Amino acid sequence: MDAVKAFLRHPSGMAGFVLLIIVLIVAITAPVLFPVSPWEMSGTPFTPPGEDGMWLGGDTLGRDVAAGVAHGARVSLLIGIASALAAMTIGVMIGAISGYFGGKVDLVLMRVTELFQTVPAFILAILLVATFSPSLLTIILTIGAVSWPPLARLTRAEFLRLRGREFVEAALCQGESTARIVLGHILPNAISPILVVVSLTVATAILLESALSFMGLGDPNLMSWGFMIGAGRTVIRQAWWMSVFPGLAILVTVLAINLFGEGLSDVLNPRVSRRRA
Amino acid sequence: MTGTRSTARIGLLVAAWIVRLVAIILVIATFNFVLVRAAPGDPAMVMAGQSGAADPKILDDLRKEYGLDKPYLVQLGTHLARVLTLDLGYSYRQRRPVLDLILERLPATLLLTLTAFCLALLIGTTLGALAGLVAGSIADTVFTVLSLLLYATPVFWLGLMLVLVFSVTLGWLPPFGYETINAKHTAIERIFDIMKHMIMPVISLAAIYLAIYARLMRSSIIEVSHQDFIKTARAKGLARPRIVVSHMLRNALVPVVTVAGMQAGALVGGAVVIETVFAWPGLGRLTFEAVLQRDYPVLLGIFLILSVIVIALNLVTDLIYRLIDPRMTTEAA
Amino acid sequence: MNRREFTAAMLAASAAIPLGITRAAGQPKGGTLNTIIQPEPPILVTAFNQQQPTLTLGGKIYESLLKYGADLKPLPGMAQSWEVSPDGLTYTFKLFPGITFHDGKPMTSEDVVFSCMKVLTETHPRARQNFARVASAEAPDPLTVVFKLKQPFAPFLGCFDCTSAPIVPKHIYEGTEFRKNPMNDKAIGTGPFKLKEWVRGSHVHLVRHDGYYRKDQPYLDEIIYRIIPDSASRALALENGTVQLVQWSDVEFFDVQRFKSQKNLAYTTKGYEYFAPHQWLEMNNRVAPMNDKRFRQAVMHLIDRDAMNKRVYFGNAKVATGPISSKTKFYDPKVKRYDFSVEKAITLLDEMGLKPGANGKRAEIKYLVPPYGEVYQRAGEFFRQSFSKAGIDLVLVGTDMAGWADKVGNWDYEMTQNLLYQLGDPALGVARTYISSNIKKGILFSNTQGYSNPEVDRLFEEAAVALDEAKRQELYSKVQQILVEEVPVAWTLELEYPIIYDKAFKEIVTTGIGSHETFGSVYKS
Repeated sequence: MDAVKAFLRHPSGMAGFVLLIIVLIVAITAPVLFPVSPWEMSGTPFTPPGEDGMWLGGDTLGRDVAAGVAHGARVSLLIGIASALAAMTIGVMIGAISGYFGGKVDLVLMRVTELFQTVPAFILAILLVATFSPSLLTIILTIGAVSWPPLARLTRAEFLRLRGREFVEAALCQGESTARIVLGHILPNAISPILVVVSLTVATAILLESALSFMGLGDPNLMSWGFMIGAGRTVIRQAWWMSVFPGLAILVTVLAINLFGEGLSDVLNPRVSRRRA
Repeated sequence: MTGTRSTARIGLLVAAWIVRLVAIILVIATFNFVLVRAAPGDPAMVMAGQSGAADPKILDDLRKEYGLDKPYLVQLGTHLARVLTLDLGYSYRQRRPVLDLILERLPATLLLTLTAFCLALLIGTTLGALAGLVAGSIADTVFTVLSLLLYATPVFWLGLMLVLVFSVTLGWLPPFGYETINAKHTAIERIFDIMKHMIMPVISLAAIYLAIYARLMRSSIIEVSHQDFIKTARAKGLARPRIVVSHMLRNALVPVVTVAGMQAGALVGGAVVIETVFAWPGLGRLTFEAVLQRDYPVLLGIFLILSVIVIALNLVTDLIYRLIDPRMTTEAA
Repeated sequence: MNRREFTAAMLAASAAIPLGITRAAGQPKGGTLNTIIQPEPPILVTAFNQQQPTLTLGGKIYESLLKYGADLKPLPGMAQSWEVSPDGLTYTFKLFPGITFHDGKPMTSEDVVFSCMKVLTETHPRARQNFARVASAEAPDPLTVVFKLKQPFAPFLGCFDCTSAPIVPKHIYEGTEFRKNPMNDKAIGTGPFKLKEWVRGSHVHLVRHDGYYRKDQPYLDEIIYRIIPDSASRALALENGTVQLVQWSDVEFFDVQRFKSQKNLAYTTKGYEYFAPHQWLEMNNRVAPMNDKRFRQAVMHLIDRDAMNKRVYFGNAKVATGPISSKTKFYDPKVKRYDFSVEKAITLLDEMGLKPGANGKRAEIKYLVPPYGEVYQRAGEFFRQSFSKAGIDLVLVGTDMAGWADKVGNWDYEMTQNLLYQLGDPALGVARTYISSNIKKGILFSNTQGYSNPEVDRLFEEAAVALDEAKRQELYSKVQQILVEEVPVAWTLELEYPIIYDKAFKEIVTTGIGSHETFGSVYKS
């Protein structure tokens, strides 16, 4: 409860929270606000903003950019959250094993983590998506697969820190199983910094997805913001609105998540916010 | 600490890094190999198919020519042996040695990424330090908001917006390319020409890292300024500028340098998008083209070289790390 | 086209065709042409690679025996005249005297025989099939080449354009591994321009070949092909005069309109007659529901091809009526027409029993998006919206070039889009898509959809070997009627790529090969 109160008093955190709620509302109500599919070629190609009832203009095929931005919010948030969860699953698992068992296991797992950090993440993502053909699932798994190392390192550090604590020692003495100690004692104590980083991972995942879509490696069946900017790039002279508005949507969303995440971090665990990378 | 001891220590460190480098290269080479071979798509098909009709015999010849008919293990063995002798193979599509292709594109990418990197580090840390020193002021708030905005901006979108403003609307800067081709410039003119082409790509690529380093530096400065040794130094009556330079900056830079080293890979990754937006003839674009054409040897080569570069950059930052933070000991590596 | 005239031209001795070597005196010499090449070609030797960029660039460096006019009639290339025996079996070509390679060595009939029979049959899939029909090729003297065919092949004179039969130097390639010959980087041909410098990722610089055999040609000093991967940047380069010529898909279709009205630029869609790019929605005929003719007919009714032309191609196309392009020989417009009608489509779907399921969907079909740029992506989106009107759910699947080639070549797809060149004669560019002998697993641009009809096979075969033009027309008309009724693929549009150039340059488009031409006669006023 104290944390909630503290967060309410955190101005930038609250600003982020409010922005995020707005984005969420747009995402949820998109089918109501724009009942016609964002793919429907309802207007004249390259309609400027404000004309023909399209307040953000029309695209190359005469599709409503506003509808695209609204429906794109669903896709971006879905992919952002799902891939952050995927990254969390992988990262926490590896970090927990590494930090809890230490020794050779730790050494090997940290080398693997290092390897994933060495290969440029975005290039690896391009390679993975191109290899396994872009779809919602492959994109989520790919972003998860290149985003987990920071989470693994953080989890490992937390586990290393907590392992020597009295309550863990006590649990060990009472003969509790490893799984119980890890899940019941250590993880709950490590979870708040992990959640902070996961929330920030959502933001980087959205950026990563948009960059992939921009390069033409998004799911072609999903109207996403990166896809829209990619489609707008070549026509930037004719229709600036096609790339400007979806870009602003990404900016606002990522900003909102970052502000929210950092607010959380300040409230829950000031130690983590600074070290995040 | 004596000079010889630290030299020996750095020598040992470099040796250890080289061993690690080779090991990592081998693992990455294997990893890449397995990944690309596991992928669907037959390179011989693309090569033969592009001509408008294809013949089974030509496909077979191509498979033989590139050893695609041999078992995977044999291909892997050959591949690793080659990699260790710096033979990165031969490109299917470009019909040239992969190393040539990479070396040809490398300078453009290095120019772009290193300039962006230095710029981001220099401006980022300076701005961050300044903001940290005046924490809480209006200037600091403006700085914080701006860095947050930059941090949330998609790299490619920033590039596009720059093109929209400075090329399409104002017509001040060339929207693409590396230099004016066939301009018959003198050497000096050429340098200025390239610099002019570099402005937008470098800004787009540097922006996000600038924001990251600045924010890190700011909080680092704030944290350091609250630490005991600074308070002690102040109490001793040392002049304020000296405190800043000798103690705060040095200590505050440590986390920034660590992160900068870790970001090297991401920076190279960012170059792929930026090179696409600005038609910059570097490695990033070569990567993307190679992925689209499933040009196995080129991809394997690029991944390897980029990884080597990233590892090298890590070594450099590690050395800087030691330089600015003498309390560090080798075991912390 | 008057058929009798054409036959006469083909069969009679044609010793003196003055076309192509006409030269107006006093054309100004000098000047630089800046243009675009995209994507960057992997190699410039057209004998080893036949992608469009390679051909556009290589067309300046390598020549063949003939060229083809907008009417697809043969014109002199390196052969100044040719003769066909009345039985249609012996083809004799006389070369221009004084042709030299870029390294200064003379080009003789030996080089022609070597290129056609040794090199191209190994490295050029299309030429391989053409020259497989040759029983013997001889070089009785340095300026004479004689091909003897195993049996008559009507379009044999159509096999000698710079894209199908480029001539390479024997003294460089004989006894070597062709594709790995280090001289490939030098690109030694006989064309009016030779390679000076290729800065990868940046530009290709061609300069005049001083020993060119056509008097005074080339008029230009140099041509610079700039590599600009980004289409917005390409458009800007044309607009601000950085480049003075664009071809094929260098500028996006939506930009074409803008350039049509730019005063210093000329616009034409001529120069693509030989290729006549023909586009269709390809449907795997082996897979339900595409294995039912009624479904494929319904698809024809579902695509509003006029709207597709307007929205996706911005009017740079013409609605296709069947397998043969209206620009190709033996085109017959008298075939069944499928008007845009969702009702008719639904009737057909109901009739075949493909009723909407519980979710209102009749079928879910995977559509493989060809990885060749944005327009293909937009076309896929257009198809998806069109099909949704009849309850057919098209799921777009993205892929890379290798993946696309692999899946289509190995019949592992449901629907995709395809674009093939017609190559001047149905026997060369059309039959390959429909005859059952060309159902070859693993081969792209064959009869990948798996359509098979013995009657169609017979008609195409007869038409290929018939020497009488009227007879050929009759056979091709019949085959067009059958194919349009059965819809093995859903033809959409005949693409009309533009050539846009600075009006200061003259004679840019002179033949049906357009931008692949040698540009020897191009001059700057």
